Amino acid sequence: MNDGIAGKLAKQFINSKITPLLMVASLLVGIMATFMTPREEEPQIVVPMVDLYIPYPGATPAEVESRVAKPVERTLTEIPGVDYVYSTSMPDFAVVTVRYKVGEDAEKSMVKLWSTLMKNMDKMPSGVQFPLMKKVSIDDVPVLNLTFWSKTKDPFELRKTAVEVADELKKIKNIGDVDIKGGLKRQVKIVLNKEKLRQFNVSPLQITRQVQMANSQMTAGDFKQMNQEIIVRSGRFLENAGDVGNIVVGIYGASPVYLRDVASVVDGPEEVSNYNFFGWAAAAPHGSASGEYPAVTLTVAKRQGSDASKLADKVLARVADLKKSSIPAGVTVSETRNYGATATDKVSTLLEHLLMAVVAVTVVVGFFLGWRGALVVLASVPITFALTLLIYYLLDYSLNRVTLFALIFVTGIVVDDSIIIAENIHRHFAMKRQPKLQAAITAINEVGNPTILATFTVIAAVLPMVFVSGLMGPYMSPMPIGASLAMIFSLLVALIATPWLSFRLLKTEEGHQEEYDITKTGYYKLFNKILSPFIESSFKRWVAFGVVGLMLVGAIALVPLKAVQMKMLPFDNKNEFQVIIDMPEGTALEQTARVTKEISAYLKTVPEVSSYQYYVGTNAPINFNGLVRHYYLRQAKNMGDIQVNLVPKDERKAQSHDIAKKVRAGVQQIAMRYNANAKIVEIPPGPPVLSTLVAEIYGPTQEQQIALAKQVKKVFEETPGVVDVDWMVEADQKVYNLVINKERAAFRGVTAEQIAQTLRMSLAGMDVGVLHTDKELEPVMIQVRLPQSDRTSLQDLSGIFVQSQGMGTLTTRLRAGEMIPLSELVKIEEKIQDKSIYRKDLRRVVYVTADVAGATESPVYAMLDMDKKIEKLKVPGGYSVSPLYTASPTSEDQLSMKWDGEWQITFEVFRDLGTAFAVVLVIIYLLIIGWFQSFKTPLIMMIAIPLSLVGIIPGHMLHGAFFTATSMIGMIALAGIMVRNSVLLIDFIQIRRAEGADLKQAVIESAAVRTRPIVLTSGAVVIGSIVMLFDPIFQGLAISLIWGGILSTILTLVVVPIVYYIVEKKSAKP
Amino acid sequence: MSMDIKKRFVLLLAAIPLLVAGCSSQEQGPKIGRSQEPPVAVESITVLAHQTDGGEVLLVPATAIFRKGELSGIYVVGADNRLSVRWISTGRSINNNLVVLGGLDKGEIVVGTYSPALQEGVTVIKRVTAEDQTNE
Repeated sequence: MNDGIAGKLAKQFINSKITPLLMVASLLVGIMATFMTPREEEPQIVVPMVDLYIPYPGATPAEVESRVAKPVERTLTEIPGVDYVYSTSMPDFAVVTVRYKVGEDAEKSMVKLWSTLMKNMDKMPSGVQFPLMKKVSIDDVPVLNLTFWSKTKDPFELRKTAVEVADELKKIKNIGDVDIKGGLKRQVKIVLNKEKLRQFNVSPLQITRQVQMANSQMTAGDFKQMNQEIIVRSGRFLENAGDVGNIVVGIYGASPVYLRDVASVVDGPEEVSNYNFFGWAAAAPHGSASGEYPAVTLTVAKRQGSDASKLADKVLARVADLKKSSIPAGVTVSETRNYGATATDKVSTLLEHLLMAVVAVTVVVGFFLGWRGALVVLASVPITFALTLLIYYLLDYSLNRVTLFALIFVTGIVVDDSIIIAENIHRHFAMKRQPKLQAAITAINEVGNPTILATFTVIAAVLPMVFVSGLMGPYMSPMPIGASLAMIFSLLVALIATPWLSFRLLKTEEGHQEEYDITKTGYYKLFNKILSPFIESSFKRWVAFGVVGLMLVGAIALVPLKAVQMKMLPFDNKNEFQVIIDMPEGTALEQTARVTKEISAYLKTVPEVSSYQYYVGTNAPINFNGLVRHYYLRQAKNMGDIQVNLVPKDERKAQSHDIAKKVRAGVQQIAMRYNANAKIVEIPPGPPVLSTLVAEIYGPTQEQQIALAKQVKKVFEETPGVVDVDWMVEADQKVYNLVINKERAAFRGVTAEQIAQTLRMSLAGMDVGVLHTDKELEPVMIQVRLPQSDRTSLQDLSGIFVQSQGMGTLTTRLRAGEMIPLSELVKIEEKIQDKSIYRKDLRRVVYVTADVAGATESPVYAMLDMDKKIEKLKVPGGYSVSPLYTASPTSEDQLSMKWDGEWQITFEVFRDLGTAFAVVLVIIYLLIIGWFQSFKTPLIMMIAIPLSLVGIIPGHMLHGAFFTATSMIGMIALAGIMVRNSVLLIDFIQIRRAEGADLKQAVIESAAVRTRPIVLTSGAVVIGSIVMLFDPIFQGLAISLIWGGILSTILTLVVVPIVYYIVEKKSAKP
Repeated sequence: MSMDIKKRFVLLLAAIPLLVAGCSSQEQGPKIGRSQEPPVAVESITVLAHQTDGGEVLLVPATAIFRKGELSGIYVVGADNRLSVRWISTGRSINNNLVVLGGLDKGEIVVGTYSPALQEGVTVIKRVTAEDQTNE
């Protein structure tokens, strides 16, 4: 017999001493790689996203838009690789967000952005300040949060402690950004006394100038004397509040006026700017303190590519150490987020699942081939995985839930090659036609080449998924890459290690000398019974085809009937969620704190909640979601975040998504009472988006856009299943516009700048310098401001004075230094604050956002539902707005709407996966043509592919699951597996026919002989997938593989031989 | 300083003079609704708006306010007769009262005199004895 590649390889290695060494070496490198590969929960996604903050003080949103945002956007879209450009024009500044295509190099993108921006800075109007560029990346998400809280200490003391701890932690290797949320900083407050200022004839501006000038020190140079250099320095920095108080700020009569004469200088906590509290909730560990306590949260991010769990452990160990020194008694440090622990947890659960899958598959194999056969297969799995893990390590992948799932996913598939080889060797050993070594090689030759082909069909099936574009791409790419690598390794293992192991482990039973006769086996009898009627009677055949066809149509019909719903990814079971509270713009900090506190008090009673922290006036430590949604900018006074921590997964029955659904009503009831908008934000299972449902409204004017948005918002609110409805239009906020009376100001010798600065200093306060102390870790600012009690109403402004610049201005005859009351120079206009202007890809847009929960969990159905209602909306002009799905509107002359949010990603993913599937089919077809040299045969083999749908869709209905992106992956992979089964089946028919067997005999024989390996390999896939059923995200994949696998295998074994028979009968007979 | 206090009710939430619950037995697990604890008597007042030269402002007695570092808090009696801490920001003082700038609504009932023994979640009983205090 002519040896194929497989046979040659097997001959080389079956008795070689090198084979066991190779096996051991592979195992060792794999184990090493497992420990060295960093672990994290989420896959590393590089989405270069850059935020540009461009200040343009004094400008209205419309001005900011037209002078800054628009031109900047235009230049930025010229940069190759830029995917989207968003901008928000607010009063005084613009935020422009540039999102590059997924996978673009972050550093290169920054450089490109920088150079483009710099090239155009000269075109910016004067008054535009230098832009701030901030790169946003996944590594900005803190992996560890430590909340410092205390019954006795106040926020100021807590922050001080946290800062000291942060300083220590920063010394740990691989630590990223360490940040502190909340608490009050130390500050030297210069609290102006209006009466004294007037009495001593000192203006606020004069004070700033004097303080700034007093706070300087420098090296003046040196003297040379007697071969010595003596350094000369002058000045002295302000070192304490006393120094500040002693600054001379003016002269009254003949005596100096000290700062302490006109203002009180207080060294202590800054004015309250945030309310952050921590509290244990219903499910807190026993003996925890009730009530809520001032809290400061220290957040720790990791450096790119490092291991979150190792870092978290190191940090926690260091903190435990610091409890003896830096952290005073009475301050409790609670771990309020530990992604290191959750990552380890996830990774070990997955490794456990992997082990279970391997064991389950081994048991199945053992059932058919005996324990020796099982051992052969079992040994091949770790070697395959070891090599795959090594490649993961070399390719800089981390061990995360996607890379590990790729392994679980292929567990059932990688054993197949070994199973087929081992099974055939086993069969040949049992036939005893040849001596042992010869039998083994014959067996390998028989199935070796089809196995190689079959492996490549599976690779051809999964590999095109690499081309999934958009945000989902990097999420999914480890699957096809990991699976393909594992397949190649499994093939090598099957051709090198399996024969070696089989040759030694599989036994030929001594004693029986009976000649092997296929017609006597049970399989043959079974298939003879099943297939013969269909082969003989064409009527029965057509009935059978009809039944299968009906099943297929029925299965597909479940989708439009909504028995099976499509969704991109279902929610994962996490240990946290957030509540995002937005009060109407213009709400006082304390009022926001009050609502947040009340909602927290409700959340506290939820039995699954273990603890919570709330953050008002400062953003909560961001998570994956916050990165895209810009939650790190949530620092306004009308915004509050509650971080809700649940008890660990294994201690509760409910999934986090169900808890979130449950609390939503209670939370929103409280929020409604205060006219607040509260949203329950869960960690997205896939790439984060602005919101699950986003309606982008375009139109000719902002008023029209807002009017339509209002109507769309109402449609959202009325649709069942649509929750957390919000829009990005600020509530009306009252503004006192102080219009400067120019003539009068000029006549008094006062400039507009003076007035603006004086006002700002009085109201917002102005930092005039830094206190130079050695001890303090955070800079201590010196701030000039009016006391809070003196800046509550317009009347308070009457007591503020500015100094006349005197005759130098040439517009006044007053002498310099004359005090002019501000109220004399300004006129008050009350108006409504201008709304921010949002733009996306150069178009003005108004966003309406919502989430889906309850009645529909999939945004697509909600969208279809709302489409009809939106089309009926009345807009000026009398046309109807029909929402767009995939493309942005072509013109802004008419009002239009586009769906975005999760839909955009869903659309991209299913489009790309669909394309991938089409490519898969073509490649498989080509591969089989290449092998069988026939155009017809591949088509017969590919019949198995649609048959898998008969199992997949009803399977989803049975489990009540969504047809998700992972289901789709399962379906595509299954195509490869099922075609492989057909390949093995038909290959054998052809071998038998070449040996001279009759067509019918060959067909039945092949079904009989191949049933065992086919059932074994499919069984391995099915059994290996069962562990995945319990993971919310990969459930779809498991269902596809299990139900599609079972149904498709059964149908393949019957339908494919029959179809082959029909087709071949015609060509064989004449 | 001239200002006219329009009206001011003093609700005496008195009744059974009981020990202030929770002052001796401090931390006993994260029980949220402490319904088992005896009700407490506190003197409370409703917050009313007062006319000053700058428009309407809310006033609370300075004795009602407690401080935690820079934070100013006040105990509020909720609709369910439970006490809760409210963080407020205060402005200038008028006689013995402080102007509340944020955190409190007109018509809310607050505990008139702060005592460290007060605790969140404690139920209070109120017997309303309204007292008219026009002008001082």
